[in-house]
Amino acid sequence: MMSVLWRRGVVYLLAALAIVYVGYRLPGLLPGDYVTTVYGGAEVVLTADQEQLLRARYAAADNFFSYLQNLLLLDWGESWAHKTPVFTLIMAALPWTLLLMGGAHLLATALGMIAGVEAAWRRGGRLEKAGVGSMTLLQGVPELALGVVLLLVFSYQLGWLPAGGGLSAYAEAGTGGLLLDLLRHLLLPLATLVLAWFPGNFLLARASMVLVLRQPFLVTARAKGLPPWRVRYRHAARNVLLPLVTRFGLRLAFMVTGALVVETLFAYPGLGTLLYQAISLRDLPLVQGIVLAAILALLAVNLGLELLYGRLDPRTW
Amino acid sequence: MHLNLYRRLRGDPWFVLGAGLALALGLLLLASPWLIRHDPYAMDFVPLSAPSAQHWLGVNDGGMDIWAELLTGFGNTLIFGLFTGLLGLGLGVAVGLSCAWFRGLYDLCLMRLADLLLAIPAVLVLILLAAYLRPSAWLLALVLALMAWPTSARVIRAQALTLQERSHLLAARQMGGSSFYLLGRHLLPELFPLYLIGFAALVRMAVFMEASLSFLGLFDPGRKSLGMMVGRALPYYYLEIGWYWLLPPVLLLTMLLLSITLLAVSLEKIFDPRLKEHW
Repeated sequence: MMSVLWRRGVVYLLAALAIVYVGYRLPGLLPGDYVTTVYGGAEVVLTADQEQLLRARYAAADNFFSYLQNLLLLDWGESWAHKTPVFTLIMAALPWTLLLMGGAHLLATALGMIAGVEAAWRRGGRLEKAGVGSMTLLQGVPELALGVVLLLVFSYQLGWLPAGGGLSAYAEAGTGGLLLDLLRHLLLPLATLVLAWFPGNFLLARASMVLVLRQPFLVTARAKGLPPWRVRYRHAARNVLLPLVTRFGLRLAFMVTGALVVETLFAYPGLGTLLYQAISLRDLPLVQGIVLAAILALLAVNLGLELLYGRLDPRTW
Repeated sequence: MHLNLYRRLRGDPWFVLGAGLALALGLLLLASPWLIRHDPYAMDFVPLSAPSAQHWLGVNDGGMDIWAELLTGFGNTLIFGLFTGLLGLGLGVAVGLSCAWFRGLYDLCLMRLADLLLAIPAVLVLILLAAYLRPSAWLLALVLALMAWPTSARVIRAQALTLQERSHLLAARQMGGSSFYLLGRHLLPELFPLYLIGFAALVRMAVFMEASLSFLGLFDPGRKSLGMMVGRALPYYYLEIGWYWLLPPVLLLTMLLLSITLLAVSLEKIFDPRLKEHW
């Protein structure tokens, strides 16, 4: 077990180093002088002091190890547009993203698994066929299109839900009002992500469950006279978790892109929107900080998943 | 085998639907030189005018004909996807087959490299590159292909390893066939279905990524694309201008991704159900 841990750990550490190195090298690859290139446009006018400050900052990171050290000490530089440390900005946006992505992921997985298990149980039925058909189609629709359609229907035509943001500017003072406002803003982006992620989970859960249902241990469980829901969930569905976890790891990067697009679409105040604004303003330290943080988080989650995978299926160790 | 394949594909409703959609989109692309009546880059018209006989889908904020923009953007998106798919598949096939054939240290090194690349999320690397360098679509396609080959390489390698032990290949080797001959004559063609599956997956990924990145404004800003059109149309929609501008690119993008997805799903189902969901 330790050897697997080591091997995976080393791969992820190398990946992290490689990506941090890319982030370190990129500013230097810009044609011409960094500060002039970035501030050369008409959008920002620099005073001589500011220019000197910026030059000093980018001259300081001329050593990869000091750069790495700064990263580890949570000194991620300062955002040009916000005049605030990048790390502070990331930490402020992170809870929103976690709420949206975490909520969407939990819902999409739980619903997908239950629906998949139930569909497999009723295999051959009309409901199952309709489910598989519609979910296969839905699987081909990108988050961008789902989000735009939901926005058009529920926000503009029907006017039921806010078009964007995380909270109204003057949300009611009481906790109830605030919570309701939060949920109203969360609903559309959340629904978009759940609709985008649900079909894959459903199809995978169903396909794995169909295979599991043929196994002899389920015949035994049924022969023991266990109630059907117990056979389905305690005995059979456990085995569906494994492919779902694998899928989650494989799809994680796609999920981040999806969340990025959806956050931008609904102007949700998470990391995606922060990144979008940073890109529009060419606030490069912030872009770099967010992307690095996202990559490092993805690597950590993937490593965690691989370890979890080992727990779920001891044979892989 | 190929006749049989054709029969199986024809019997799968997803394949028929996906292929029909792909055919229609392909014809649209081929016919686009005749369908585009205005220069998509020329800012000749009254900005934000509604659809008319002159401008079928209206005019955008820059005074460009939206219909011309739509077809040009569609072509760009599709060509980017196909090019990236071919490049990534080529790399995957080359690495997968050669690793299975030569094994040893070569195999070990390349497979560890594959592990490494699989761990790094390509999208975020592309965002980082695009934010700093504003690279061309070709460079982004190259980077994407360089980061995306490991999935297909692994599948192809695994399949090639089992295939090598089959008796006809052992016999061919015993008879003194050269590596080049054995690889080219036996291994390469027999894995054909895997190439189709891998290609579909790569094209889907590339189109999806191009749409997301150009929506976020991270692709070459001068290059028309469906995602970019959505991103530009959206703020105007908030001002209640131009549903005619927002919906067409969304619909076209959806149809494109839908057809690729359906083709991919049916190919996987027919050739190797075990590969399901590995992308």
